[in-house]
Amino acid sequence: MNVFSRGLRNAFRNPIRTFSLVAILGLSIGLALAMLVAYQAVGQKISSIQSSVGNIVSISPAGVRGFEGGGNPLTTDQINPITKLPNVTSVTLSLNDRLTTADTSLVSSIEPGTLGRRFSQNNGDSFTPPPDATRFSSSGTRSFTPPVTLVGTTTPTILSNTQGGGTFVLKSGKVFESNSMANDAVIGSSLATKNNLTVGSTFTAYSASVNVVGIFDAGNSFANNQVIMPLATVQTLSGQPGQITAATVNVNSITNIDSVTMAVKNMLGATADVTNSSIQAQAAIAPLQNIRSISLYSLVGAVVAGSVIILLTMIMIVRERRREIGVLKAIGASNVNVMTQFTTEAVTLTVMGAVIGIVLGVVGGNPITKLLVTNSANSGTPAAGAGRLARGTFGGVRNNLTSIHGVVGWNIILYGLLAAIVIAIIGSTIASYFIAKIRPADVMRAE
Amino acid sequence: MLQVKDLTKVFASGDNKVKAVDSVSLKIPDGQFASIIGKSGSGKSTLLSLLGALEKPTNGTISVDDQEITGLHDRALSKYRCQKIGFVFQSYNLVPNLSALENVMLPMEFAQLAKTKRKLRAQKLLNQVGLEGAKQLRKPGRLSGGEQQRVAIARSLANHPKLILADEPTGNLDTETGKMIFDLLHSLSKSEDTTIIAVTHDLSIAGKTDVTFKLQDGKLVS
Repeated sequence: MNVFSRGLRNAFRNPIRTFSLVAILGLSIGLALAMLVAYQAVGQKISSIQSSVGNIVSISPAGVRGFEGGGNPLTTDQINPITKLPNVTSVTLSLNDRLTTADTSLVSSIEPGTLGRRFSQNNGDSFTPPPDATRFSSSGTRSFTPPVTLVGTTTPTILSNTQGGGTFVLKSGKVFESNSMANDAVIGSSLATKNNLTVGSTFTAYSASVNVVGIFDAGNSFANNQVIMPLATVQTLSGQPGQITAATVNVNSITNIDSVTMAVKNMLGATADVTNSSIQAQAAIAPLQNIRSISLYSLVGAVVAGSVIILLTMIMIVRERRREIGVLKAIGASNVNVMTQFTTEAVTLTVMGAVIGIVLGVVGGNPITKLLVTNSANSGTPAAGAGRLARGTFGGVRNNLTSIHGVVGWNIILYGLLAAIVIAIIGSTIASYFIAKIRPADVMRAE
Repeated sequence: MLQVKDLTKVFASGDNKVKAVDSVSLKIPDGQFASIIGKSGSGKSTLLSLLGALEKPTNGTISVDDQEITGLHDRALSKYRCQKIGFVFQSYNLVPNLSALENVMLPMEFAQLAKTKRKLRAQKLLNQVGLEGAKQLRKPGRLSGGEQQRVAIARSLANHPKLILADEPTGNLDTETGKMIFDLLHSLSKSEDTTIIAVTHDLSIAGKTDVTFKLQDGKLVS
């Protein structure tokens, strides 16, 4: 028997106390691990939202949104310096246009319906339809064929909100290079079906023959009625060299979005409307940040509680065995001998607690994460100033909250053991101080 | 040879200072059985603590085999206690969750003796004090007072100490058992050539030791 085995054995000296202590420590470490799981899961979700929602600065010519409003286009020369701004990861340029039957051989896959006719009429007196007989009925009522949206872009695989959004899925063919100048196009699946087009087919736009190199599906009818072509090609064919109607700036982190927005505004001045998605992103992240804070405080609280429990227990044990410690010192044990024995005892108790805690953490980590997230999602409200967009985003994120899944990996188990060691060290340190202070002479005097 | 010269220990008690041991000088040759008698509060236990290096004196010197121990630092004092001193307490002070054998092995562990040697020596000592067989594996709670004191004596002999300090070794025992323990200590002092100093109230026991010192108000009076 040596100091370690004696310490190990002492841990079981009082079975009821050992059981109670290990159970409480297990709960404490289990709670700490569950909170760590929640903290990590929510952190990953925040990063995911920040990278997908909150890091975009949108630029459009002043007074223009999509095909609404009016004003002068921006130019690539104006936008190019933005790529060199700090924290800007990429800039997507686009030039959007509507292809009427006068401009293209394509027929829209979207039927006009009531809304299409109403929108057409609401365009006002200034709207001058092309001289196309099919657009007017014999009774003189204005008929309307929805145009096909053409997007000239440098990143064909990203569909902006004005393009209908959705996820770009290439169904066949390929995608053109971002700096291509060829008369190539990737077209929406509905448009391809409507016009009997496949990869390798051609159609006309601005009197030029355009090759279909790919067909995509965005999951919505509006986006699937589009033609996506290289920016330079559209600029040339439409007679708008160097011009763009929209730019999207990607920023490396949501924390830098306001500074980048300010820099872009300073560069473009009154020629452009510059907006960003930070408000929506902040509103989306706010409930998650709350959960993250709660889990962090609970994590720290659980570790502190565990440390205090073991600390007080060890102090109690040392006080209880004061005489025994004095005797051990009297018969030749050094302070180090006695401290090692008690530290071993504390570590044994804590490791047993850690084993239970790890089991609880593994079993309870994900359910507790979901419970926290569900409660937060049900009770959380977006910031008052966030507006309609924020509420919309928040609603989307609320749906996403329930998809947060806590993963218990090896790192969690290692953190559990680390927490146990920290708790044992903290628990033993002050007890060791008391041990060092016990004088064997006091034992003699107490005889 | 144990040599004590002008040994003084002063305790502070509030604003007052109490001389628990006052200029005590004595010499005890190796292998002698000495007793210290005196009334309660006369300084017997304090003197024993000073001799056992459990406490540092205010003044004076203690030498064991010409080694001055009063100037040693804590670690050296632990080593000194481990190698040169054996303690026997009135209430035995055995570690309750260790067997008799393990209790006796304990000082040898602190002296870093190999486990097999520790066990053999502990068994030998327990046999020597009359605790044999299965009783050696019993925990203190399952031994009588006399048996526990035998274990304590065996423990005190574990590292071949030069000096055994016994504080009221028969104080918790009945007269017959006390006499047996005293005889055991006496015979061991001869067979192990160990100096034994026992603090006692029992004058009949003190009268049988080789030398008796009487303490009164911290001073050696005879």
